[in-house]
Amino acid sequence: MDPFALFLTRLDFAWVTTFHFIYPPLTIGLSVLLFFAEWRWLHTGNEGWYRLVRFFGRLFIINFGAGVATGVVLEMAFGILYGPFSQAAGPYFGVVLGYETITAFMYEAGFIGLMVFGWGKISRRMHLFATFNVALSSTLSAFWIMNANSWMQTPTGVELRDGIFHVTDWWAAIFNPNFLSGFPHMWVAALELALFFVIGVCAWSVLKGRHVELFARPLKYALLAAVIITPLQIYVGDVLGHAVGNTQPAALAAMEGHYYTHNADGSVNTTWNVLAWPNDAEGRNDWALGIPHALSLIETWSLYGVVPGLDQFKPEDRPPVWVPFYSFRIMLAIGFFLFAVALWGGWLIARGRMTLKAMAGNRWFLRVAVFSAFLPFLAIWTGWWVREVARQPWLVTGMMRISEGVSQMSVAAAALWLASFMAFELFVWFFTWYFLAKVIRQGPDMDTPVVAEGQEPLGYLEATPDEDESQPAYVRPYGGRP
Amino acid sequence: MNDLSQVQDLVIYAWWFALGFSLLMYIVLDGADLGAGVFSLFVRDYRERGAIMAAMAGTWDANETWLVVAGGIMFGTFPMVYGSALHYLMLPLLIVLLSIMMRAVALEFRHVSGQTQWLWDGLFGVGSLTTLFFAGMAMGAVLKGYPLDGGQVPTYPGGLLRFISPFSVWTGVGAVIAASLAGGLFIRARFQRTEVIRVHAAAWINHAFHLALVAVFVTVVWSLSIFDWAADKWLGPYFWVWLIPGAATVFATFRMRRATRRGHDLAAILWLNAAIAIMWLAMMFTLFPWIVPHTWTVYAAASPSTSLFTFMLTMGSFLPVMLAYNWYQYWVFRARVNKLTGYGE
Repeated sequence: MDPFALFLTRLDFAWVTTFHFIYPPLTIGLSVLLFFAEWRWLHTGNEGWYRLVRFFGRLFIINFGAGVATGVVLEMAFGILYGPFSQAAGPYFGVVLGYETITAFMYEAGFIGLMVFGWGKISRRMHLFATFNVALSSTLSAFWIMNANSWMQTPTGVELRDGIFHVTDWWAAIFNPNFLSGFPHMWVAALELALFFVIGVCAWSVLKGRHVELFARPLKYALLAAVIITPLQIYVGDVLGHAVGNTQPAALAAMEGHYYTHNADGSVNTTWNVLAWPNDAEGRNDWALGIPHALSLIETWSLYGVVPGLDQFKPEDRPPVWVPFYSFRIMLAIGFFLFAVALWGGWLIARGRMTLKAMAGNRWFLRVAVFSAFLPFLAIWTGWWVREVARQPWLVTGMMRISEGVSQMSVAAAALWLASFMAFELFVWFFTWYFLAKVIRQGPDMDTPVVAEGQEPLGYLEATPDEDESQPAYVRPYGGRP
Repeated sequence: MNDLSQVQDLVIYAWWFALGFSLLMYIVLDGADLGAGVFSLFVRDYRERGAIMAAMAGTWDANETWLVVAGGIMFGTFPMVYGSALHYLMLPLLIVLLSIMMRAVALEFRHVSGQTQWLWDGLFGVGSLTTLFFAGMAMGAVLKGYPLDGGQVPTYPGGLLRFISPFSVWTGVGAVIAASLAGGLFIRARFQRTEVIRVHAAAWINHAFHLALVAVFVTVVWSLSIFDWAADKWLGPYFWVWLIPGAATVFATFRMRRATRRGHDLAAILWLNAAIAIMWLAMMFTLFPWIVPHTWTVYAAASPSTSLFTFMLTMGSFLPVMLAYNWYQYWVFRARVNKLTGYGE
């Protein structure tokens, strides 16, 4: 196959994954937070929680629509772009994706309609149940998708016979080493992203002096949750890093730009590169700024521990370094930055400076909080690029190479795919965020009466006995402004 | 050993049936939504277009998901077909995926769109039309079969435009016609009886019905003349067996017409669905043992890891639950709409 066509085909898949991956983490995280808020509403009867649920619910559904739209592509993209891989790995990989569609995708679709359009048509408790199911099903979806991907990283429980993966041990395949920390890392990332999304939206509203009394509480709650979640994420990430080091040493070496196991004088290369200029062709960094002993300390818990460098692997088995090295550093920096923001917020709360009156005074903190809302999206992108690029040249680590699994595409076919999806998905992205911004600017609807217990006519949807006579109160689907 | 392979065959048949069932669900459920989308292209009043979208607001997502479910079942149990057919169908599927994407965002964004509403209305209608045409074309292209290379695991050797043939273009047209009929019935059933749009829909249904009759006839005759697998079965020694689904289809069609005339809107839809289901099943059995004619049989295409256990887990527990909440969803959103239902004004 033409190397350029191969490169384009890989880019085709990278593109549709990357531009799908903007949406689901917010869906996963925000549905959990929506469930919490709706539960508080039912529990306390406080109307503020209800207004928040409706407001963030509108944002949720805009994001959800884009996620579904771009997600259908992905399943089909395996068969289209990676046909031979789909054939060979179908017995495990396909089954896992099949379970995702049946236990999660369909499950979610079944309740999202009730959650969005069911207000007033179903009882409040039933609605809470629908929200709960949306949260659970989107988490299940992450479970299966991460499972499929982590199996590609550490393919246990299978045997490659006659070009086809035969499952020998389902349990071992599902609970493969990478999955055990990979899934928690992803799920916590989704939660962290949603928390900072909420923090950003609330901080912006407080900064603008809009509905401060409404947004003060979720801002504080989300900051306090972030104080716990951000360090937890750093810890889980470290566990995953060790799993990668144990199971995919070449990937780890690429992430760290670690070319040489030993220095020229024979001593162990223990340096953790902060910044570097990787040169794959010559198998070394042209220059590097590093901290001695740090890599060995992180990976082996000792000052002189040996960490295998890329020189331990045959040239054709080495991943490229640039993308994983810098993606990893961007993700890391964002993780620590968000931790700092959470601590800052927690400190302000502890010092009593986040009371209703004083809150708007912390202008610099609020500005930073709004800025922080964008960072998790970048962190999730870069984290995914680390996973995918550091696994190269393997499609299934140690068992199947990219070149063996990719469909035989012509340059024209691959370029057509790339161009169409670039155009369409940028279009979707632009309008998704444009409408999110629009709804945030509009702010919550504080006037429409709180939805009644299972009686709200959704427009005129309810068949009333005397349709022509009565004028049932018309309430818009998400309680938008009249 | 023999017993074991018999069980294995049974599991394969069961999965084959499950795959057919999911595709049928998709065709029946989303077909009506897509047909209503085509209808919306001819609706002048923006409020009526909004109401058409509102009529499917709570269920379109679940309907579309049946396609993804079918994809999942095919990927997991017939990976040989999945990895080769999808590559073969790259171009039509590319257009279908883009169309589905545009429809989905149109449905979700129209609420908040304001001045750009015309754009989302247009994307919704055009996306419905292109989804139907190219999905229909893909279906016809599969019936023609496709070449495989001689590798250890035979796969599609590439070729972007091989799916195009007079027959596949025709099946694309046929899909638009059939869905137009379903979409018309959907409009009749989902709008309040006093709405003007129902009168337009009645005329639409009349045209679509006659076109659909012609389309089915042409498809059957055309298939007979170019597909040996169809001729072998339909004109073979057991030709009389195929008269049974034929007669059943005619009966269901007749009942659909009667229900339409009498204003039994839901019954009309169900009879149409029955006719489609009978024809679909007949097609599946005509193809058997091929999944893709002269390319993959169900046996060769099946995953070696299919097991009775995973089948029971899926069909015994997940599918019934899925059908239950799907049904509940329809029940909640069963009430008729009118043009003032207002979808995103």
